[in-house]
Amino acid sequence: MGTSEERVVAVIMVGGPTKGTRFRPLSLNIPKPLFPLAGQPMVHHPISACKTIPNLAQIYLVGFYEEREFALYVSSISNELRVPVRYLREDKPHGSAGGLYNFRDLIMEDNPSHIVLLNCDVCCSFPLPGMLEAHRRYGGMGTILVIKVSPESANQFGELVADPVTNELLHYTEKPETFVSDRINCGAYIFTPDIFTAIQGVSSQRKDRATLRRLSSFEALQPPNRSPPSDFVRLDQDILSPLAGKKQLYVYETMDFWEQIKTPGMSLKCSALYLAQFRFTSPHLLASSDGRKNATICGDVYIHPSAKVHPTAKIGPNVSISANARIGAGVRLISCIILDDVEIKENAVVIHAIVGWKSSIGRWSRVQAAGDYNAKLGVTILGESVTVEDEVVVINSIILPNKTLNVSVQEEIIL
Amino acid sequence: MKALILVGGFGTRLRPLTLSVPKPLVDFANKPMILHQIEALKAIGVTEVVLAINYQPEVMLNFLKDFEKKLGIKITCSQETEPLGTAGPLALARDKLIDDSGEPFFVLNSDVISEYPLKQMIEFHKSHGGEASIMVTKVDEPSKYGVVVMEESTGQVERFVEKPKLFVGNKINAGIYLLDPSVLDRIELRPTSIEKEVFPNIAAEKKLFAMVLPGFWMDIGQPKDYITGLRLYLDSLKKKSSPKLASGPHIIGNVLVDESAKIGEGCLIGPDVAIGPGCVVESGVRLSRCTVMRGVRIKKHSCISSSIIGWHSTVGQWARVENMTILGEDVHVGDEIYSNGGVVLPHKEIKSSILKPEIVM
Repeated sequence: MGTSEERVVAVIMVGGPTKGTRFRPLSLNIPKPLFPLAGQPMVHHPISACKTIPNLAQIYLVGFYEEREFALYVSSISNELRVPVRYLREDKPHGSAGGLYNFRDLIMEDNPSHIVLLNCDVCCSFPLPGMLEAHRRYGGMGTILVIKVSPESANQFGELVADPVTNELLHYTEKPETFVSDRINCGAYIFTPDIFTAIQGVSSQRKDRATLRRLSSFEALQPPNRSPPSDFVRLDQDILSPLAGKKQLYVYETMDFWEQIKTPGMSLKCSALYLAQFRFTSPHLLASSDGRKNATICGDVYIHPSAKVHPTAKIGPNVSISANARIGAGVRLISCIILDDVEIKENAVVIHAIVGWKSSIGRWSRVQAAGDYNAKLGVTILGESVTVEDEVVVINSIILPNKTLNVSVQEEIIL
Repeated sequence: MKALILVGGFGTRLRPLTLSVPKPLVDFANKPMILHQIEALKAIGVTEVVLAINYQPEVMLNFLKDFEKKLGIKITCSQETEPLGTAGPLALARDKLIDDSGEPFFVLNSDVISEYPLKQMIEFHKSHGGEASIMVTKVDEPSKYGVVVMEESTGQVERFVEKPKLFVGNKINAGIYLLDPSVLDRIELRPTSIEKEVFPNIAAEKKLFAMVLPGFWMDIGQPKDYITGLRLYLDSLKKKSSPKLASGPHIIGNVLVDESAKIGEGCLIGPDVAIGPGCVVESGVRLSRCTVMRGVRIKKHSCISSSIIGWHSTVGQWARVENMTILGEDVHVGDEIYSNGGVVLPHKEIKSSILKPEIVM
């Protein structure tokens, strides 16, 4: 029975530094959750989605990064959105469910009726109000956001089978070898506080089994116990799979976009998805070419208010320009992310690329890629403070920070 | 007497090693690169060393505190806020380099390793009475570098020629200078090249003299030259009959093993290998022409050649690592894996073989 006193606490898992090497070279300079997509840090998008939930009491960001990496962001976003956002550091890996359990006292401090759990590196419309309403109707312990994908790609994710009428979760399996279902786990959940009891149940079960092993002398001769410590609980294998079919878990399907943001190439694709979403949710954030004073804008483009763009430049579609960037005369930008303090000189062309902070792109130079978001060299990436000299061409390449290119390169990684 | 070591840059050519520490602190023959130079300077009576840096000063400053005490020499930093080239840093550090004694001061390039015959250089400088002395070294392919054209008998420098197309000489600038304080009056505090602007002026006044460096010389700023440099360095240790070189039935050629490293049974180590502090080399391992940095574990039966294994990495059982494989800090190569020239960034696990040279991010 919903009351007006019902509070919701949101938890966003942001991950940590040494695990995510797939986001290099961008992650060499910034924690992945703070990398900007459509002009806002990656974690900002799930945070904004949480803000659409009525009675949101608190947002916790949980991860392995040092506190100081998130201190500035957390304080500024708390002020901006007028909701308390706090970063909590996990001291050691507890698994995706164990991490939630680890901070249960803090989470339950506000006595929430519901807990929203989101993954930061998921690009999604996060339809949380609708999902919360559905969760209340179902009356279960948890509701999982799911999306339909192509059968060929489904096995990269957690595959779910649900009852088409009641939406109850009947079966869940993580990255199966054979085809189970084309509905997959989006990495967004709503739980009631019973989830903590369920996680604790898994922990104690493990402890009991471990104790049992020690009593059996036969087991003692076996090679060292490889199962994880008792407080390491994974959401997928340890909670969702076992509880499927027990009338505790339900699904809520989204028809919007969904992607995982694992590589720099994907961040370019997801930036475009969020820019397209802005057209519906926050059109005032997008740039438009009004009158001769401004540059020509095509499609969805974000330009930070402090960036300077010459009126003869043509920008877009799918371009995001960050703070203090300077775009010179006659520049053409298509499908790219231009980070803070970048200078792009006259008549340069940038297509399917990410240009790192403080980099400099010379006159008539060309920085481009084929635009295959999944290929290793499908999006050209320039790290922090890279200089591309005049008239140089950089194609399908990754350039690490502080390099100067005075000759053209193609299909190369430059350390 | 004082000295300036030009540390400069980001060390991008020595990546992935320089993604973990600034270049002067990358170990060479079991010692941070810059320590080789600081020790050579201390040995001939230099009392103060100034490091001209522009990158990661906090890391350098911490290192300095440790070594100042251990070595009993004063070490300070001169930090560039914008890149000043190869001469500008001298102007920046002017106050630290000049005192009332009027003595000349050394300038060393941090990428260079050599015998450092600094005492001979002081005598040479006194004998010709000029304003500046530079070391030159003989190379096979001078047109890759800046060639110094000099008068053979006196060493007086006539001119510098950058990457000459026709042969003008085979001696190049070795990056070791001994300068009178008056040279600082010729350098403005702006980005300046010592080879292109300062030295040609001094040479025109017939006050610049070059001495041919006896012994080995190598610019170890990139992995290939680092490995060649280790061979030359260990060779020179051998010529001096240094007790630091390891010996034993499992050692071939010149090998350096830190006293805290452990080597198992049935290994064959060498030639030209350096094994750093705290390393564990398990039994049946073959190592040749490689550097194994602090805290590395090399598991049984593996084989490593012509490679650099970064700090705290591990190489799995029966793994084969060769052909300029460079492992950054904390890289773990799985059992039975083959790496042919893999360049691996820090904190990675290699679970599948690298069949041809590639960068693993």
